[in-house]
Amino acid sequence: MGIPVGMISAIYSFAMTTGANRVVRGARIEHVCGDPGLGPEKDYAYGMRIVRKALEALTVPVSGPTLFDPHEGPAEEAVHAS
Amino acid sequence: MRLEVGSFPVRSISFGPATRWADGRLTVDKTAALAEVRRDPRVASADLHIAAPGDSVRIWPVRDVIEPRVKVEGPGQCYPGICGRDIATVGQGRTHRLAGMGVVEVSSVNWHDAGGDFVETYLDMSGPFAEMYPYHRLQLLGLVVEPDPALSDESRNDAVHRAALVVADHVARATAGLTPPEREVFELGPCDPALPRVVYIWGVHSPQAMSGSLTAFCTATYGLTQLTPPWILHPNEVIDGALTGPYRTAFAMSWTVANNPLFLDLYRRHGRDWNFLGVIVLRTEWTTQHEKQMIANQTAKTAKMLGAQGAVVTWDAGGNEFIEVVRTIQACERLGIKTVFLTSEDDATDGAPTMLEPLPEADAIVSTSFFKNVTLQVADPGPVSRVIGLERKVIHRGSGVGLHGGADSALPTAGPLPPPWRYDDHYGFGSQSCIE
Amino acid sequence: MTEPLRVAHYLNQFFAGIGGEERAGVGVSTRPEPVGPGRALQAALGDAARIVGTVICGDNHVAEREEAAVAAIRRELEALRPAVLVAGPAFGSGRYGLACAAACRAAAALGIPAVTGMHPDNPAVEAHRAHVLIVPTAESATGMQAAVASLARFALRLARGEALGPAELEGYVAQGKRRVWDRGRPGYQRALDMLLDKLHGRPVVSEVPFHAPDRVTPAAPIADLGRATIAMVTTGGLVRKGNPDKQVAANATRYHRHSVKDLEALTPEGWEAYHAGYFNHIVNRNPNYILPLSFLRDLEGKGQIARVHEWMYALPGVSTPVAMARQLGHRIGEDLREARVDGVLLVAT
Repeated sequence: MGIPVGMISAIYSFAMTTGANRVVRGARIEHVCGDPGLGPEKDYAYGMRIVRKALEALTVPVSGPTLFDPHEGPAEEAVHAS
Repeated sequence: MRLEVGSFPVRSISFGPATRWADGRLTVDKTAALAEVRRDPRVASADLHIAAPGDSVRIWPVRDVIEPRVKVEGPGQCYPGICGRDIATVGQGRTHRLAGMGVVEVSSVNWHDAGGDFVETYLDMSGPFAEMYPYHRLQLLGLVVEPDPALSDESRNDAVHRAALVVADHVARATAGLTPPEREVFELGPCDPALPRVVYIWGVHSPQAMSGSLTAFCTATYGLTQLTPPWILHPNEVIDGALTGPYRTAFAMSWTVANNPLFLDLYRRHGRDWNFLGVIVLRTEWTTQHEKQMIANQTAKTAKMLGAQGAVVTWDAGGNEFIEVVRTIQACERLGIKTVFLTSEDDATDGAPTMLEPLPEADAIVSTSFFKNVTLQVADPGPVSRVIGLERKVIHRGSGVGLHGGADSALPTAGPLPPPWRYDDHYGFGSQSCIE
Repeated sequence: MTEPLRVAHYLNQFFAGIGGEERAGVGVSTRPEPVGPGRALQAALGDAARIVGTVICGDNHVAEREEAAVAAIRRELEALRPAVLVAGPAFGSGRYGLACAAACRAAAALGIPAVTGMHPDNPAVEAHRAHVLIVPTAESATGMQAAVASLARFALRLARGEALGPAELEGYVAQGKRRVWDRGRPGYQRALDMLLDKLHGRPVVSEVPFHAPDRVTPAAPIADLGRATIAMVTTGGLVRKGNPDKQVAANATRYHRHSVKDLEALTPEGWEAYHAGYFNHIVNRNPNYILPLSFLRDLEGKGQIARVHEWMYALPGVSTPVAMARQLGHRIGEDLREARVDGVLLVAT
């Protein structure tokens, strides 16, 4: 039985095109789970939102590459590149 | 914009009492040239060496190879904007070039100190490794230059590159009052409106992401290396050096940019096979999906607004920079612009796709073969009689800012050496490819 | 006059004239002569070769009992001793395509070269092209003549022991075996030729054919996070400070696993990034950006997840070939399965 993986990446469309099934939008390549520019508290809160979204993704059934965007509401089915 | 380019072929270089060009022979007044270089107090040491085709010589570390070009009429300065040079828009009037030669910038200065990107290129002038590159057919004037080590990394980069440009200007100016043996006029003249309209989308690496700096040294557009929106250049600006190298491979040098055969053929067949609209410089290594997609959309939109019906696309980098390039291609195709992509390929082991992000819209690809020298099974270049530059070459970089765990290890430059990591014929100089 | 080369032909129940869908469960049988389209195939082969037997099987039989069917086909081929097997053509039919691929596999096990034909969009193509020689055909049997001619040409060459050239030149479906090849003309000229062709609506053959990346069946979701053990993996090149384990910064050939058992968070005193593909300094100041330990400990403390798995896995993803990444991922997955981990957070840079 497979183990669900929440892949957190700033380049999320690419992750989906190349087959990752549960993709979580990260902040930026250089700082994926958070943003130092926000100051320590907001940085941590942002990172926490991303991680929570990733854990939520693990609990959702998916049928193919699906984006979980911590900036938005519930998970959206992939509208991927092509 | 009309530009007349006068070419002065160089068939030999020697040192002599005065810098002059006559009948293909370039004589260089070494003392005078180095005196100009040393006017910059940031330069700690400088020396000039000559390498001719067929010589048993190896040049290391090669930061750039620059074709000497100088304005003799018209605004601005060739290789504008970089290293504090004149920022006037170039591409008009008359430019003289020394054809068949390059000034090689040889220095231990690395691009930046943030890690990840290192100067790796070395050049041979004879042997099978040499023959993989266009430089073994050029007469080369090597400037071995080191800056004051106390300077910041950006100042050190600026100092050594400026020194190479000073040498290039010095030799190019020898042609100032002379009549060029060969002349060519470059302009985007009016042409048959039925001809298809094409652009060249030129992907260029920005060091901004890897260095964490807006002003790190690298391939530049009027001296700017930072991530910028799509930038339209008249092809004459490229001929006058507005887009310079270098980046990290032997094919990403100022010389290969100015002599890019894809660009030149596209230009020369304007009015015959197509209506060449110009160049769109696409800076790469944006670091979020949004930025990458946005810049792809905007580049395609720019091409569309220019009226492009077709586009050739190249890039000079690796890794995630592929994403904005391929998505630019996708965006162009979705706007009805027919694209051709010239690129190298990644590892094909076990049938893996050789494009980082394969998209069906990228349906017309010309392959310049695998980019890794190890995949190309390039044999280690053998020993040479003479070295221009450093006597030892780092083979494995250690921990900290390097590429491998552990300490640096180095080999004598003159002995057999592993080839650099990347080959990567960005502009299709050669016929090596892949097939399936 | 040499003996004609011996050819075996594989057909499904429909093309063998046994029946349609209702007979798709029929088992393996052999007839000692060309059958159905085999007659056209024989004509195309001419005197150089002779179809010595047609092996027939129902598509559903192969689909439902593949190993048994393959073994039976193999036995028939052993008896026929052909110099080559031709399977199909299957055109657009997915199940027939898969069955033809299975028949080719049976032949391969005996060292008998084999070729099949089907439409490039047949699902069997993506699944099997790497190890089965497939010639492209039309989508429907209206393309039978062309398909049979193509199959016959390849069959004769294979039967004679000829090595085939690259797919792009020979016309068979690319098998993912890309190799260095000198195309004789500089890339820039080929690019401009391709541009002209495309602009004038002429067909273009890409030097890099499009192949969609692999898809993986998604794992079932976690029912109850509060009872879940979550593991962390990063391709961001996380290393212990000073890189005592000498992890490389690119082109990974291994991964490192580290215990986070006694850690509440990753600190810059203990950890840093060592990855040649992005600016490492920001992660150096806060390594949790690429391995979210601080966040998961927080949630663990609140009972939102049961526990953070003791072991985390790190490697530098940049410049790592896909084939290597597959292997490393597989081993990490096995480790995590053995450890009964319920879910994974994978951070990529």
